[in-house]
Amino acid sequence: MSAEEVLDDAGRQKNRYHFDRHMPDYRHRFEAITQEMHAKCPLAWSDTYGGHWVAAGNREVFDIARSAEYLSNDHDVEGVRRGYQGITIPTPEDMKFQGGFLEMDPPEQRHYRQVLNPYLSPAAVSRWVPVVEELVRASLDEKIETGRIDFVDDLANVVPAVLTLAMMGIPLKNWTIYCEPAHASVYTPPDSPDMPRVRQGQIEMFQDLFAQFTHIRENPRPGVVDALARAKINGKTPPDMELLGVMALIIGGGFDTTTALTAHALEWLSEHPQERERLSRERDTLLDSATEEFLRFYTPAAGDGRTISADCELVGTRFKEGERLWLSWAMANRDPSVFPDPNEIDLARTGNRHHSFGLGIHRCIGSNVARMVFKRMITAVLDRMPDYRCDPAGAVHYETVGVINGMQHLPATFTPGPRLGPGLDETIDTLQQVCDSQRLAEPVTVRKAGADIGSTS
Amino acid sequence: MKVHVDPERCQGHTLCSMIAPKVFQLDEIDGHSSPISEEVPADQEARVREAIRSCPEQAISIT
Repeated sequence: MSAEEVLDDAGRQKNRYHFDRHMPDYRHRFEAITQEMHAKCPLAWSDTYGGHWVAAGNREVFDIARSAEYLSNDHDVEGVRRGYQGITIPTPEDMKFQGGFLEMDPPEQRHYRQVLNPYLSPAAVSRWVPVVEELVRASLDEKIETGRIDFVDDLANVVPAVLTLAMMGIPLKNWTIYCEPAHASVYTPPDSPDMPRVRQGQIEMFQDLFAQFTHIRENPRPGVVDALARAKINGKTPPDMELLGVMALIIGGGFDTTTALTAHALEWLSEHPQERERLSRERDTLLDSATEEFLRFYTPAAGDGRTISADCELVGTRFKEGERLWLSWAMANRDPSVFPDPNEIDLARTGNRHHSFGLGIHRCIGSNVARMVFKRMITAVLDRMPDYRCDPAGAVHYETVGVINGMQHLPATFTPGPRLGPGLDETIDTLQQVCDSQRLAEPVTVRKAGADIGSTS
Repeated sequence: MKVHVDPERCQGHTLCSMIAPKVFQLDEIDGHSSPISEEVPADQEARVREAIRSCPEQAISIT
């Protein structure tokens, strides 16, 4: 590098901040760090992880995230394009894996979304409401007579997992193969003694996923896996590993994020019983805005990495091709210039244009699923366990929030009530018959009617 | 009041139709929004203004 370039970099990177979102300190001091960055350096250069930009301000995140012509999500695992490292900073050492279309650029990224949209649009997702209500009912029935529940283990881990497999066309009862690894791989630190066990669980999950994929390719069965097995991307059948990455993305996106949102919302409502009563009472007008507010405040997926794909100037800063950038949805969601009293939860907040599902062409493709499942879980708890109290001593938050702002456990007690129907295993068996006989996992272009739980024919 | 959704900016976040379901319709396949009719009924104007404030992509405008 020439002296001129060194000087130039010092000028471009004059706003510097030592940013390490993978340290526990970032979780504990999140609000203070966010305020400091908003005030001093809403766009900063950090020396961590090989050096990268960090966008923390709302305007900076908004303007940069929507400049798709200068950004790449590409994860070039084989090193056959420009060697870009995808959306994770730092790139995981032990798992070189392209994370589906979230680690692709158009046109391939767009083609994948076109394949999946008819399974995940608002109209497609609303068909699943009766299935979700039945899963929630059964999950709560397992615990309703005891007066004790763990909202993560017994509810928020279960429903998103079973529903995701149902939409994919994978047998519902296999959810236990997928559930633990999908969460544990997020919250387990790389140096943990538990990591070998977590990796083994992940291997078993991928083995089942690949077995399901090859089976469905030979024996068509409605669902997302079938759509991918038959997809032509840019006119070609993609390699199996690429499709496995897409399926892993759907599982990763479908499982841990909605769990994280639901657990945090239930914890907050336990700490604010008057707000909980208000939400229950005024749910017809308040549930939508409360959902968006929990999404904003807790931002389950903290942010996304990008690679600058061409020299450019954005928000007054010159970027060079190949530089890495972190877009912090979580910090942008606390910017006081857009959100008055950003560190307060206001269930009736208006103008809540939060970035929790990302922005631009990579908007979370499962956002409609997330909202629907969250709302069904929350309202069922409000109806059936209205006086629940979470036990702070038993609540386990993820140690770090660099990837997902999640919870591992959230035990609670409540006044016991009566069961309303069969338990979870029996319900899952029944729902499997409903899925199969009604071909629920067809795209909305083929099947428009919602699930009919009253009959299995 | 006339309302417009920029199809290049809309990414299907669906907040507008949550806030003003009588004004915005969502595509069945990708959930992207469009006005049911360009002309906004007088009793829907406040909701349309709130939809503009809430759109994550800033895709909605009025004239």
